[in-house]
Amino acid sequence: MKIALINGSPKTSGSASGCILQNLRSLLDEEGSVIGEYHLKRPGVSAEEVAALGQSDALVFAFPLYVDGIPSHLLHSLVQLEQSLVKEKQETMVYALANCGFYEGHQNRWALAMMESWCSKAGLMWGQGIGIGAGGMLPAIQSVPLGYGPKKNFGKALQQLAANIANCSADENLFVTANFPKLVYKLAAEAGWVRSAKANGLRWRDLSLRR
Amino acid sequence: MRMIIHDLEQSDFQRLFSRPLNHTMVISPDATIRHCLGCFGCWIKTPGACVIRDGFGNMGEHLSKCSEVLVISQCCYGGFSPFVKNIFDRSISYVHPNFRNRNGEMHHKRRYKNTANLRVFFYGETITEGEETIARGLVAANALNLGWHAAEVSFSYDIAELEGRVG
Ligand SMILES: Cc1cc2nc3c(=O)[nH]c(=O)nc-3n(C[C@H](O)[C@H](O)[C@H](O)COP(=O)(O)O)c2cc1C
Repeated sequence: MKIALINGSPKTSGSASGCILQNLRSLLDEEGSVIGEYHLKRPGVSAEEVAALGQSDALVFAFPLYVDGIPSHLLHSLVQLEQSLVKEKQETMVYALANCGFYEGHQNRWALAMMESWCSKAGLMWGQGIGIGAGGMLPAIQSVPLGYGPKKNFGKALQQLAANIANCSADENLFVTANFPKLVYKLAAEAGWVRSAKANGLRWRDLSLRR
Repeated sequence: MRMIIHDLEQSDFQRLFSRPLNHTMVISPDATIRHCLGCFGCWIKTPGACVIRDGFGNMGEHLSKCSEVLVISQCCYGGFSPFVKNIFDRSISYVHPNFRNRNGEMHHKRRYKNTANLRVFFYGETITEGEETIARGLVAANALNLGWHAAEVSFSYDIAELEGRVG
């Protein structure tokens, strides 16, 4: 079975989407599938990428939530892919993992619904969507083993998804967040903005600048 | 001020808006627009402005002067078209990075005080019922996220159907 893991974050490195796929890959590798990794970080998909994705049995997208939806560069690529894949009439399954900065995993619901709609327009089969809240934390807790501490529920969701991918089966969407208090997440993220601003030579009150 | 964000051909736009537009800023499709890189520079490097200076770097500031935002977009999978979505992605400097609870959910603190009526006109020949549901949910979520009011969401088969309705 050929599985394509597609990172839809525009970040070259250090993306939460990359961490998510890395964690998922560790579960899929156990199943002995052939896994290809792709990074759609710019608008547009190359002819080689289109061909490779067209030959996969499962497409697994991981992307960040942007303004409640799919990031525009990825959307652009999906429109292009729809036009190519619809001609192939393959029985490809599609799975998607959307992660967001806000705490609640369900804030990804519309983006996942759009992926499902893309899937039916491209003539592919929808497998499952996972909406992940507090995604901003994932790169910072990369060393925490999957299924433990703040990654407890995230780990369970990935286990279920990996099993569904391996069986080419469809399932209900799942929504998870970090096993970590919301208030602490908020305070840590806000302290992070101040630290980053200071590293850029700004004062904390500059974060509130109006133009 | 009113802002119109659209993805129409120039001729179609002129057909819909034949009279002069007062106090209106029009954001039209432009192939030179770059996409958001997810760097958050608009919050932590040059707060309130995008670090990409391609002519779409001051969207947050422009939105702070609006009382109405009118969007005309092809409906893609229940959401906006790539160009219109790019404009929204490039606009997050409009909000402050810190968080606030709204409706029991995490959202952003406001950077500016204005609030706007968001009116969205989706068009497309293949919009399904399911996509209409997604689009309504999306616009409501956008309004909640930006601190605006989702005043109108409508769907048309083609651009001609919009004539006389988007004034
Ligand atoms: C342009 C832009 C828009 C965003 N919009 C949202 C949003 O609507 N809701 C949310 O919870 N997070 C939003 N985020 C935060 C990202 O989803 C979050 O930082 C995510 O973890 C990034 O994933 P990545 O590292 O895989 O790119 C936005 C980020 C950017 C840059």
